[in-house]
Amino acid sequence: MSDLAVVIVTFAVCYAVVLGYALWLHFRRRRLGG
Amino acid sequence: MTRVQGLFAAAAAAVGVGLWFAFTSVADGLQGEYSRIINVHVPSFWVAFLAFGVTAFGSVAWLRTKNAKWDRRAAASAEIGTLFSGIGLFTGMVWGEAVWGRAWDWGDTRLATTAVMFFVYLGYLALRKATVDPITRARRSSILGVIAVVQIPLVYFSVNLFRTLHQTQSIRPDGSTMPDEMLMAMGINVVAFTVLYLALLAARIEVAAAEEATAADTRLAGDGVSPPRLSEVEDV
Repeated sequence: MSDLAVVIVTFAVCYAVVLGYALWLHFRRRRLGG
Repeated sequence: MTRVQGLFAAAAAAVGVGLWFAFTSVADGLQGEYSRIINVHVPSFWVAFLAFGVTAFGSVAWLRTKNAKWDRRAAASAEIGTLFSGIGLFTGMVWGEAVWGRAWDWGDTRLATTAVMFFVYLGYLALRKATVDPITRARRSSILGVIAVVQIPLVYFSVNLFRTLHQTQSIRPDGSTMPDEMLMAMGINVVAFTVLYLALLAARIEVAAAEEATAADTRLAGDGVSPPRLSEVEDV
């Protein structure tokens, strides 16, 4: 894997974690009513 | 559009601009493409420090006022700070493996103090999960939130106090050791991550308020059962 590919995957993992957390908040808020 | 949705829209736009600058700015001559990781690594720890500072502020405010809104803010901020600490540690390990030749070194003061900080805030979250009574939970976590924030200057200045593997700060009072283009890209990402933090914080506080409202409505088993009126019981 090239250096740039490793960097892109690293960014993707970080943003996916934050997106997952944001989605969890969104669906938890809806489940609790609101 | 609600306030939280507006914050997330602003955060998405800011993160998009940040990503553009992260991948189009000049790469370091020695580190190559790996130098781009600084655009996630530094903003993540900036958000973690900011979040833990807000946790300490909220903790002090709860201890003074006993108002539940400060406990919600402190806890929400600690959760987000822990998340971004984890991201900062992960990106640092990827960068370290490529540039230092090792992902981790317990002998390095910056790495060790950062890991301890991460685990202390994981402990803060575990303490909240383990305490059922809301007042006791708020009191215990507020005390920990105030004590734990002492780690931030320790982590930040550890590279000056003990010279080991991690380099010293790139931005100093007398100037920066980074080219202006890299510095600008990193600064834009710091701003983008700050907006992202504000959006996540607002959303997490809303969820915490909804959780508390649900918990208050939840009846315990047996709550709906009236005690028997013994005076009406006839002996058989």
